Order: sequence, then C-alpha cells, then structure tokens
Amino acid sequence: MSDGPRLVYVCEGGDCSEKGSVELFEELRAQIHDKDSGNKSNIRVRKFPCFGGCAHGINVVVYPDRCFYSKVTAADIPEVVASLLENGKKIERLSGKVEKDVEQITFDLLTTGF
Amino acid sequence: MTSFVDLEAKIPNNVGLKDDPVIRRALETWQPAYLEWWRDMGPSDFKQDDIYLRTAVGVGRGGWANFGHVKMPDYRWGIFLADPETEGERKIKFGDAMGQPVWMQIPGEMRARARRLIVTQADTEPASVEQQRLLGHTAPSIYDMRNLFQVNVEEGRHLWAMVYLLHKYFGSEGRDEAEELLRRRSGDPDNPRVLQAFNKPIRDWMAFFCFTTFTDRDGKYQLAALAESGFDPLARTTQFMLTEEAHHLQVGENGIARIIERTAQLMKEGVDPRKVGAMPLDLIQRYINEWSSASYDLFGGEDSSNAAEAFATSLKGRYREGDGLYKDPLALNQNYETEIFENGVEKKVQIPLRRAMNALLLEAYHADATRIVARWNRVLEQYQLSERVYLPTLRFNRQIGLYGGLWFNPQGEQISKEAFERKRTEWLPVDADYQYVKNCMIKVWDRGKFANWIAPPPVGINNQPVDFEYVKFH
Ligand code: FES
Ligand SMILES: [Fe+2]
Ligand SMILES: [Fe+2]
Repeated sequence: MSDGPRLVYVCEGGDCSEKGSVELFEELRAQIHDKDSGNKSNIRVRKFPCFGGCAHGINVVVYPDRCFYSKVTAADIPEVVASLLENGKKIERLSGKVEKDVEQITFDLLTTGF
Repeated sequence: MTSFVDLEAKIPNNVGLKDDPVIRRALETWQPAYLEWWRDMGPSDFKQDDIYLRTAVGVGRGGWANFGHVKMPDYRWGIFLADPETEGERKIKFGDAMGQPVWMQIPGEMRARARRLIVTQADTEPASVEQQRLLGHTAPSIYDMRNLFQVNVEEGRHLWAMVYLLHKYFGSEGRDEAEELLRRRSGDPDNPRVLQAFNKPIRDWMAFFCFTTFTDRDGKYQLAALAESGFDPLARTTQFMLTEEAHHLQVGENGIARIIERTAQLMKEGVDPRKVGAMPLDLIQRYINEWSSASYDLFGGEDSSNAAEAFATSLKGRYREGDGLYKDPLALNQNYETEIFENGVEKKVQIPLRRAMNALLLEAYHADATRIVARWNRVLEQYQLSERVYLPTLRFNRQIGLYGGLWFNPQGEQISKEAFERKRTEWLPVDADYQYVKNCMIKVWDRGKFANWIAPPPVGINNQPVDFEYVKFH
C-alpha cells in the first residue's frame, strides 16, 4: 500500500455535515492544494459517509496512517495540513476520542480483500 | 480550479449553458414541462407557503448552498458538476479502459449502456417525490415538514442533473428519455416507475424515515459507483449529488433515532407506547425489516453479467474505486465467494469478481446500515433499556438474486416457507400496523411543537433554534 495515495477522509454523514464538514472538506482540500499544488505528497482528500463516531464529529480519518481525528474544527486545519505535509506526526490532541471498535470498523472497511 | 457559477441565468448552472445555446434552449423548453410535473405530482398543497430551504449555489471553497425562505415552485433548480479533483489530465481508474484519459463525450459503443444507467438513476428522483407527495399534511412538526420538502426539492434537482446529461450527451434519444421521465408515474399500473421499490407508496412518516435511511442509501451507493465513472460528466454530476444526498440520509437516520428516543422515554416511564399513540419497538422493527430488505433488492442480483459489463466498460466502478484501495483495478483473476442453498444445503460458490460487483456494493451498503442501527441502539442504551433493534441479514425477505424465492429468518438461517409464513406478522408489517401508524399521524404545525410519537431534534437546521419558523403558512 506504500505506493498508493494517502487518503484523507472527511465525514459527510448527517451529524458531521450539520457541524460544517462539507465546508471543512473544501477548506482542507484548498489549503493542501495551496501548499502543495503539484500534489507531490500524493494526498487525496475525499468525503466519507459516516464513520459511526457521530457524537464526536467532525471526524477526519487518514489512511493508511490509521489516524482517526475527532472534534475537528476549521481552526485545526493548519495543524492537520502541517502534520500531513511536513512533520508526519499524528495529532494526539484530536485522537482517541471515539470507541476503539468504531475505529476498527472504519479501517477494516478501507482494507479490502480485492 | 473552480468553475464559473452562473446564478442569474434562467437555469442556474456551472456548466457554461450561456455559451451552449442549443442545449440551453432544449432545457428551457423542458423547464415548463418540469414545472407542470412539479405542480401536478410534487408535494400536494403548500405551494404558497414559505419554506426554509437550502439551495445549491455552486461548488468548491466558501460554501455551496444558501438558506432562506422560498416558495417551492420558485425554488432555483440548477445544474452543477463538481469541480475536477485535480488539474490537468485525469485518467480512468478501473476496467478495460483503465489508464486512458477520462471521456468528455460518451464513446459510441457505450451509449446505450450509459443511457440506461443514467435513466435508471434519473427515474428514482421524481419517483420518490411522487411517493411522498401527501406526507406534508400529516407532518409531526414544521421542522420535519421542512426536511421533507428539502428532500423533495433536491430530488427534483437531481432529476435536472440527470436530464442535463441526457440532453447534452445523448442527442434525440436523450431528449425523448427526458420527456419520458416526466410521464412515468410512481405506482401507475400502465406507466410505472422503473424500479419496484419506487412504485411502493410511502404512506406515513415511519415509512418516510425508513425510506430515507434505507432506500436513499441505496441511491447513495449507486451514485458513489457512478461517481467513479470513466465518463467524466457523469462522474462529476453524481459527485455533486452525493453532497445533497447526505442530508437525506441524515433526515432518515435522525428521524428513526428520534422515534426510538420517544419510545424509550415512555418505556422508561413505564408507559406502553401503544396507549399514547407512539411507536412500539416491535413495530419499528417490522418497518426496518420491510424497508431494508426491499432496498437490498435494489442492488440487483449478486451474480450479474450486466454489472460485469458496466465495470468492464469503465462506466461504473466499485465503491471508492478511485481511492486506490483495491489491489486489482481490473478485477480479473479473482473470485468473490458466497453461499447458495440447494435443497436446504449450504454450498460455497465462487463468482468471478467482475460479475459480483452488485454483491460488493451491497456489502459496503450493509456495513454502513449496520452502523446506523448500532447508533439507534445507543439511544436505547442511554435509557438503560435492554431491548434492541437489529438489521436483518442480506438473505432475509429477498425477491431477487441468490436468496430470492428462498426463505430465511432475519438472522439468515434457512427455514421452510411455512415457518416463514407463521412468523410473517412478527417480522413484517401487517395491515393493522399500517392502520395504527396512520392513526398516529396527526399534524402538529405549531412552532417548536412535536407529535407525541417523535422526540424533538437536539439542534435545528443551519444553526437556527428548534422552534424556528421553518414553514411560514399563508
Ligand atoms: S456523521 Fe460523522 S461520523 Fe457519523
Ligand atoms: Fe436523489
Ligand atoms: Fe435522496
């Protein structure tokens, strides 16, 4: 999987979109594009339908890095971008808020047998 | 890269209609027919009332929709394609055409198949508006009424999105199809809608919330598969539709969650929901069983040569195909394993992967729906109740595919037809259920008030309070 893209999934499920996840998605994508217009980092920002961690939205998942960020707001975007493009460090402050099985189901779904 | 959005035009759009006089005129000719259809078959009454609606106004950074009070017939139905994700040449990511640049026109040999895919999707949009047209009269609150009408106008916009593709890329055949879309009628024995679940009446709000949870969710997965298409205009149209679709799913999901919450409150207080016109859990379960199993059938047969062709021709991908999650974007040389039943004996079968595309999409759908039901159960948990609702397995109550015509309980164990019939009234709604629900559907139209069978939502729409005047009656 190392040669594949890094996927950044922003939840567009009911609760997260009520909290502005569609706008957050656009902003995150735009800020990544501003910093890395040639997409050398091979990052793709995509929407995802509800991870099941709705009470902790807005949720953002990075795959295959296995980061599950919760309660993400527009103010967190620069830090998320920096983590993706510069230091590669998982943002602990946004991690570990949803139940472990919710995280697991999400990563299982993204890892297909085909 | 952001496209120019022309909001002043007769038909708001970001597809350059201004410089495309032929298509613009064709669509402007179709527009009065559409409005006539909306008048006849859209929500019955409420045409003069002001509804707090979201209107798509563009794509990209800085918000994509506006909120405000509008009369439904004045809603600005527009045509929007998502902006391409990357600049420069984009490549097809799966199927036999993999690696070729995406198609800006539909290749001749694929025309018929692509047209059929588009028409099948397009037909569901007006169909659901027709199915729901009477529900406004029994709305449990003006908040819910507003959500219903939001769903309805956006299904109307989805029809516009598909009709644009038909006009623009499919010549006179496309124009004929666009007209037919306004002629078929949900449930009409002589001229029905294409798919069976869209000819089923949505008689009450329980059915509406189940429909938006389970049947709209099928739509979401179909759109997501088309959003991977090598035919670029189709991919970008469906990508934009998905954003609106997310709200429809939320309406359903939250609607059932609120019904369950109200029921849980009553149970906790020791009140029998049936005595006070609320929804008992067993009845909710029967509705879940009915609508989820009917929606499973919408995916088509698990083993399907049609699905294989749609994949092979790079017209319809797997869920999230373009994300690069799949090891083999050609889907050759692999099998999908599942079980069939012969004379009561379970047997493993191998389906060549391309032929199993419907099954793969259905699996993703089922995982998603499983999460929703788990979320509903968290409500029961919060009220410290031990009762739970469940999602039936993919084998239950199927009319088509590997399990069609066979008999299973909701847990997926094969049983005899007689055993099924004995349990039918426990598993699926009966007339008495429909009658009971119908009797509970009493309109509540005062600001901030809700019918006794549904809890208020935790928050309002677009940061408005729950008791906001979502509908202004005139
Ligand atoms: S709505 Fe975002 S996780 Fe469910
Ligand atoms: Fe739709
Ligand atoms: Fe929908």
